[in-house]
Amino acid sequence: MILIVNTTSDTSVTEELRKQAEAGNVDVDIVEAGSLKISHCIGCNYCWLKTPGECAIKDDYEMILKKLIHADQYWVISDTALGFIDHKGKNVFDRILPILTMNLKFVKGQMRHISRYGKNADVGLIIRGDAADKEYLERWVERAALNLESKSLGVFDESKIKEAVSCMC
Amino acid sequence: MHVLIINGSPRIKKFSNTDKILDEFTKGMCEGGNTCDRYEISDKASWDAIRKAYDESDNILIAIPLYVECIPGLLMEFLETLTPKTGNAKMSFILQSGFAEGVQLRCGEAYLERLAKNLGCEYGGTLVKGGNFEIRFLNDENRAKATSPYADMGREFAACGNFNSDKCKAFTGPEIFPAPVRVLVGFFFKTAVRKNFIRDGESLGCTRPLDYKPYS
Ligand SMILES: Cc1cc2nc3c(=O)[nH]c(=O)nc-3n(C[C@H](O)[C@H](O)[C@H](O)COP(=O)(O)O)c2cc1C
Repeated sequence: MILIVNTTSDTSVTEELRKQAEAGNVDVDIVEAGSLKISHCIGCNYCWLKTPGECAIKDDYEMILKKLIHADQYWVISDTALGFIDHKGKNVFDRILPILTMNLKFVKGQMRHISRYGKNADVGLIIRGDAADKEYLERWVERAALNLESKSLGVFDESKIKEAVSCMC
Repeated sequence: MHVLIINGSPRIKKFSNTDKILDEFTKGMCEGGNTCDRYEISDKASWDAIRKAYDESDNILIAIPLYVECIPGLLMEFLETLTPKTGNAKMSFILQSGFAEGVQLRCGEAYLERLAKNLGCEYGGTLVKGGNFEIRFLNDENRAKATSPYADMGREFAACGNFNSDKCKAFTGPEIFPAPVRVLVGFFFKTAVRKNFIRDGESLGCTRPLDYKPYS
């Protein structure tokens, strides 16, 4: 399953995505998070150390987390700000921590957290607006995926939905 | 020199590793009569005051815990509300993280240089160091051991006005651990470190194994 979380309030991108995914017979689960209640991560560490795997913040991210552990790909649609994704886009990455455990190992020479559920989803980003530095975002998604021991599917502008969908298989 | 210092961690001050690091850093920085104001992003009630201080300051230092390879979402939310500076303001950063090797922080560091520019500030460099996850769980003695090296960096910042000196660059430590060290540390990960984490969990009231799977 391909999980797509739209953190923007613009649903035209997801409409287009849905159309193209249907045409290509791709199994997508689209969450319109723009209208949901999703807090930032407060760094309490409870998901690693007090209630392992469970976030202490009981809001709409819990539903995304439950989908995420079964997803082959995690796509986030985000607005941009200050050369990066905006805080709503970043929050749905920060809140991902419960899918990892506290425990550590080395992977390709660098420290990583051991995954809680086995293989994690690959990560892709679709951006709206021109406030982002795309080259930097590509580097960032690579690093974020490295933390999940998965791979980056790339960074796509909202005008390049077709290219993004072509990576959804 | 007067510095506006913002702790960019969303974790409340009492438990914030960044806060403990800043305690030591400012001790060193303020020795020669330098002064600072300190604020916490985790305290949303103070955001108006932080914005005002930002508007009035030309020497800004943001201390940041690495959050998924970049800045925390909450800090981003705050920064989005700022008006870029137009004068001669300087923005410097302390970036610290859980993972210990320098290579883990470089992607975050690269963003901070862009961030300073996007906010209309001259980039005063970033003091980069990992291996700080445990600070909040340490006893006083071990915490002092972990944070006191930052006092010297505070002195260095006071002397140079930025983090570009060789001394600051060397503060990061190894970019990556040599293979024999990884073997040894990897062994500790499976033994002593694992036990430490279980103990940390117990101190928070954890009753489940740390690899528990609530949703499968
Ligand atoms: C949501 C989240 C994401 C994190 N991401 C990273 C990371 O990508 N790399 C890393 O080395 N440490 C990461 N950490 C660890 C923190 O940077 C580290 O524990 C830091 O010392 C916390 O400082 P604070 O107590 O001031 O928030 C992360 C922690 C949290 C809660």
